[in-house]
Amino acid sequence: MTDRARYEALVLPHLDAAYNLARWLTRNDHDAEDVLQEAMLRAYRHFETLRGEARPWLLAIVRNACWTWLRANRPAELPASQDEPESEAPGPEALAAREFDRRALNEAIAALPLAFREAIVLRELEDLPYKEIARIAGIPIGTVMSRIARARRLLAQALQPAAVTRLRVHK
Amino acid sequence: MRTDDRLHAYIDGELDAAAALELEREMAQNPALRASAERLRELSSAVRTQADYHRAPQRFKNAGREKRRWLIFAPAFALAILLGAGIGLYLARPGEDAELVASHVRATLANRVIDVASADQHTVKPWLSARLPYSPPVADLSSEGFPLTGARVDYVGGRQVAVLVYQRRQHIVDVYLWPDGETTGRAFARDGFNVEHFARGGMRYALVSDLNRNELRDLAKLLNSGSGS
Repeated sequence: MTDRARYEALVLPHLDAAYNLARWLTRNDHDAEDVLQEAMLRAYRHFETLRGEARPWLLAIVRNACWTWLRANRPAELPASQDEPESEAPGPEALAAREFDRRALNEAIAALPLAFREAIVLRELEDLPYKEIARIAGIPIGTVMSRIARARRLLAQALQPAAVTRLRVHK
Repeated sequence: MRTDDRLHAYIDGELDAAAALELEREMAQNPALRASAERLRELSSAVRTQADYHRAPQRFKNAGREKRRWLIFAPAFALAILLGAGIGLYLARPGEDAELVASHVRATLANRVIDVASADQHTVKPWLSARLPYSPPVADLSSEGFPLTGARVDYVGGRQVAVLVYQRRQHIVDVYLWPDGETTGRAFARDGFNVEHFARGGMRYALVSDLNRNELRDLAKLLNSGSGS
């Protein structure tokens, strides 16, 4: 098989996953397409660095392309550290929302700070284990664990009935 | 580690056996903790089933497609190669798995996963029976979280086979089946795709998907138990 054919057979099946990640990280179609274009070019050029599974490898490239793009275009979205301890940390008992409305849920995910949004998208939408998420995001597994926990706590807070209304009003 | 973080890792199946056991012991004595785990599961599953999954625009999928015109001839090539290699290739099981994955990828790339789109087993079954020398069983597993979305006829291992197409969230699961009761259950993974095999009622089943191994195995178990038929 030629490299081109191998690239198409191994990498192209994961285009939707690549786009979905870029779309959630940039939060709009136009920027997601730009970033994906750039990432696919990079993936093709660095195809020989592919070891093991193609999906996490491609997602790591897309993730880095997104962060590079955000750093250049929306630096405000990349705070120095998003992992500092939570000032007020509600326990799991704060998770009371049972009936999740689709729109509120999507808004709540989009409103998560970048690092947490990334963790939750890779975990829940790509169904990746912590180990792969750590490799893609270039962070320790312990950080993946705390980011996912924090992301879910933030989502649960945002999905409280009162918070949903607040989220709408501020939009 | 905070108990709360442990709870998240627990519902993600990421706690090691000892820590999971310890947490289960705590939950047995603490109904509030148990309820928290349950709510977390609901939140996780709400994100999985209701968050938007953004699919790549078609223009990305078409990139390089013109260079892939030869794929139209892929079935003919496959036939020629298979005739040449004969039974040897058939016995080489990893080759068969690779071919199943290749067939699944080809169908996904060419956007021809489904020839007959229907969630109704009573539409899908006669459609397949009319095109194949056998009548494959078609199970409706929507209540188990694996809705049927349709079927196609594909060419694998030198024969025409029925392919039932199920969906799990954004993942497509191709269930290849053909008459041949001779297999022991086994699994295979390649390039991020999983393959599960088993035999039931004189039919061979091969499930191919980029879905994770556990859920693919769940579907294999459901089909093997005869649910939904």
